[in-house]
Amino acid sequence: MIEQSLMVSGLIVGVIFGFVLQRGRFCMNSAFRDIIVMKEYTLLKAVALAIVVQMIGFHFIATMGWIQLNPKPLYWGAMIFGGFIFGIGMVLAAGCASGTTYRVGEGMMGSFVALLGLMIGGLITSGGALKELTSYLQSNTAVTTADLGITAGPLIREGSTSLTLANVFSLDPWIFVVIIAAVILAVLIWKRGGKQTKAEGTLYEKIFKMGWNWWVTGIAVGIVGIMAFLALQTYALGISGGWFGFLNALVTGDPNKLNWFTFLVIGVVIGAAIAAIIAGEFKLRAPDARRLLQQFIGGLMMGIGAVIGTACNIGHILTGIPQLALSSILGGIFIILGCWTTAYIMFMRG
Amino acid sequence: MSADAKPNEVLDVRGEVCPYPDVKTQKKLKSMKSGEVLEVIVDYPLSAERIPRSMEKLGHKVLKADKTGTGEWKILIKVK
Repeated sequence: MIEQSLMVSGLIVGVIFGFVLQRGRFCMNSAFRDIIVMKEYTLLKAVALAIVVQMIGFHFIATMGWIQLNPKPLYWGAMIFGGFIFGIGMVLAAGCASGTTYRVGEGMMGSFVALLGLMIGGLITSGGALKELTSYLQSNTAVTTADLGITAGPLIREGSTSLTLANVFSLDPWIFVVIIAAVILAVLIWKRGGKQTKAEGTLYEKIFKMGWNWWVTGIAVGIVGIMAFLALQTYALGISGGWFGFLNALVTGDPNKLNWFTFLVIGVVIGAAIAAIIAGEFKLRAPDARRLLQQFIGGLMMGIGAVIGTACNIGHILTGIPQLALSSILGGIFIILGCWTTAYIMFMRG
Repeated sequence: MSADAKPNEVLDVRGEVCPYPDVKTQKKLKSMKSGEVLEVIVDYPLSAERIPRSMEKLGHKVLKADKTGTGEWKILIKVK
């Protein structure tokens, strides 16, 4: 059973994360899909800024010795296959792992159904019928630092053999952090949008009643991620693993299956519900039967993809890419490709 | 044209999930004549904020975007 202090820190970080996600409408499915379907870049800018804040933050707290980076191991076949399946799933489910979770807190029953699918898909793939596929893909396509004859490099956890942009080029990670951050920030400032829709209202209304500006959301998500790393020590934000642990603990009756992320995701639902209720946006609502089925299948595919590819959009794109992990960069690319392929077929033909 | 313009058509996308409210709005506007007004009723917060933004970008005129109740918005759009 996980320590009580970790349960509490998971819940607290989760509630804050849920509040931020709901206020910022932070959903990576929308962020990536909207680029091609609607030529809308607002959420993408929030995602990019969150990645930059975390990249600088993670490397700073690691340099200070408060944490050690923990990039995920690279299984290229699993990341490509799992990422693509996850990307297809999130379009069908109408939300990524984090988007689906915070929308449950808004009262959206379609997202609740997608979440059930995600949990079931995860268990099938980690310990059930698809277990063999997972272990086959992961064990046959693994590449480690030992294979390349290099070391993990500075700031990374003792014993890690995971590849990062920094260690494959034998360069200091800060070189990549500074260059990537500078490029993304330059693009964001250049593309910040000439005509800012100036929201009118008091500070209270801006925080609790209106949707946030993309840059507020990006910075807030980034800060929550840094808090998560300091609290958990071994990793920062992740969503899908928490839900898998939740269902696993329920069906086996084994409380050891609960993990820090389980408390985080429960916190996210609570935080999002609080934010939605204050803003007057909480409402129990459901789409029609056809759409519910579509969302369930999408959730199932997200669960399968997240286990095979070792993380969801949050674990890879939000937490792994800022650590410069090759696994997460590859997984993230294929999540986006899966999303685009499906969005094109569903929304752009004809 | 005043902001209280009577809509020529009403599109109710309550209950719909991301991004159907947006996609359906866009399709509906395409089927309408220039100068006509569409009223969209939506209960999905992200779309309620995104529809006015993206429809303006497409050249349509957003006459009104109001929160009309708990988790419910009405958007009036004039076709370009």
